[in-house]
Amino acid sequence: MLPDEVVKPIVLLLGEVVLAHNEWNSLSKIAELRQVNHGTREQFLNDCRAGVYDGVLAISRTYDSTQITGRFDQELVDALPSSLKFVSHNGAGYDSIDAHACAARGISVSNTPGAVNACSADTAMFLILGALRRIHIPYTALRAGKWRGHMGLTHEPEGKTLGILGMGGIGTAVARRAQPFGLHVQYHNRSCVPEQMNLTGAKYVSFEELLRTSDVISVHLPLNASTRGLISYREFAMMKTGVVLVNTARGPIVNEDALVQALEEGKVWGAGLDVHEWEPEIHPGLIANEHCVLLPHVGTATVETQTKMEVLVVENVRSALERGCLLTPVLETRKMVNGFGPLGEIC
Amino acid sequence: MSSSSKPKVLLLGEIDHQPSKDAFNSLSSIAELITPKSTNREDFIKECKSGAFDGVKAAYRTFNSVSITGKFEGEVCEVLGKKGAGLKYLAHNGAGYDQCNTTDCTAAGIRISNVPTAVDAATADTAIYLMLGALRNFNCPLMNLRNGDWRGKQPPPPGHDPEGKVLGILGMGGIGRDLKKKAEAFGMKVVYHNRNKLSEEMSGGAKYVSFEELLKTSDVISLNVPLNLTYQKSTHHMISTPQFDLMKESVVIVNTARGAVIDEAALVKALDTGKVYSCGLDVYEEEPKVHPGLVDNPHVTLLPHMGTWTVETQTEMELWNIANIRSALETGKLKSPVPEQKDMDY
Repeated sequence: MLPDEVVKPIVLLLGEVVLAHNEWNSLSKIAELRQVNHGTREQFLNDCRAGVYDGVLAISRTYDSTQITGRFDQELVDALPSSLKFVSHNGAGYDSIDAHACAARGISVSNTPGAVNACSADTAMFLILGALRRIHIPYTALRAGKWRGHMGLTHEPEGKTLGILGMGGIGTAVARRAQPFGLHVQYHNRSCVPEQMNLTGAKYVSFEELLRTSDVISVHLPLNASTRGLISYREFAMMKTGVVLVNTARGPIVNEDALVQALEEGKVWGAGLDVHEWEPEIHPGLIANEHCVLLPHVGTATVETQTKMEVLVVENVRSALERGCLLTPVLETRKMVNGFGPLGEIC
Repeated sequence: MSSSSKPKVLLLGEIDHQPSKDAFNSLSSIAELITPKSTNREDFIKECKSGAFDGVKAAYRTFNSVSITGKFEGEVCEVLGKKGAGLKYLAHNGAGYDQCNTTDCTAAGIRISNVPTAVDAATADTAIYLMLGALRNFNCPLMNLRNGDWRGKQPPPPGHDPEGKVLGILGMGGIGRDLKKKAEAFGMKVVYHNRNKLSEEMSGGAKYVSFEELLKTSDVISLNVPLNLTYQKSTHHMISTPQFDLMKESVVIVNTARGAVIDEAALVKALDTGKVYSCGLDVYEEEPKVHPGLVDNPHVTLLPHMGTWTVETQTEMELWNIANIRSALETGKLKSPVPEQKDMDY
């Protein structure tokens, strides 16, 4: 090796780049780029253990790559090469990664917050309006040549109370959109949001008060051990009769059997869901229910937002390579001081 | 021979809500409330000529009552108006009153009121829903999921964000102004065209542009004009081939106004060429018939004229319409007379 030549670090892409090709390819100036875009979890684990990916410093992974490798759980994290220090994940929700396992191994993880806020909030508003209007009935009747079918009178947002569960970036964006629709906004969050981040002046309430007093509830929580199954029979029992429930966060936060029962009993007037407990499988009770608006997890499926997200994933990788730290690390790995620059120095 | 000296109020169509039914029935202290037996225009005209409605002063009509009387034009106006039964006031339950021919009604001495304002919020909500459905190309995933295909056998093309896009509002009445506020919350920039430029206060700071400039510079165009056939400039087929030619490539069209404002066949062509990326429609030229080119298009969002079909708005509209009747009977003036008749004597 010549003295002034540097061995480029290796970056492994799991999945496909769809839009940000230029940005991704520009990393080739500072890294050797490799890719896995097909195969099985078994193959991936075997290859890891056989040393195929030794030397990989950073992994860039897409949401869909979970279909190839399976979740980044303890088993997979244990198999990853010792050279690996960074995982740049495409998605705001990173429940497909065991971040604690990564932190324990000295692997720093980033997600894509911010980039998803507007798009996800737009999806939530679409579902709120659709659920209030029980839109599935007229929507399908027209396409079937039946004009309005058996559509009845439905409801509108004006004057109703919207309870936002989780006032992060997306919840805040929903609050801003909700205002001109005449919705009174209240929220529950791990902690009260400071005034400068709560420009709509939404009211902070306890979890129980949110359940009891909201006409519309929109879920904007991450999926983790404390939020899995958070909305279940006990919670539906506390809600107002005729409540509308919208979930654009993660399916397993809501117990779907309990939701189906609440819909059938008339407790829940309508539901709008972009995420599902066992996606891509949909609960048959939801499919059979015409008071639901169901989307197949397309919350951030726009050209603009997908591009922003992919660019942020690349920027996280670039930051890791050039500065030894990710741009938008997740909470669980944020406090880690790790990483080293391209010449091996500690940053 | 009527034993009542009270004027008659003719109910054409249904009043659906208890508070509204109660309000209508309370008119019985100042009027005799009557309904037609007829269920089609020919019979209705005969029934009127037989004297069944003689002494009628005010009528409450719904959009759907067109199935009983046909459009309020021609012979219907003649037999009901000053040379016939004596009808003076027609309270139309709806913001759009294109079913009532203002020229024929004026000639027959019939003063029309409509229901503005009460319709604004629900109609603007519908426009936002349609705009998101069209921009985000939600129809494919909605349909594919219900067909058991998750996102679809082929992944549907991703949609577009409203954020940063220009929304051109055609017609800045109550609905257009409410729509502006809602669209801005999604990060859109709003420009508008209107018969007359509004004050800064009324327009909320939205930029006033000419019709042509709106067509040329908007990413999304929302139609919020009435369907005018006789007043000032006609809005029939206001959006047709020459207008599509001026628009930006991949424009999105939203229509919650009246179907005939758009040349539906021209819209289908523009969708097929990709000039129009998608559309969100609540109204159609020949509703309930929808152009097959629209029904067959999986990339558009279509609703069956349900913009104001909520408990809250329908109740508010009915109450407003009844208030027009009461005002006419008690004061001789309507609360919300239509602009075409502003010079008509009472």
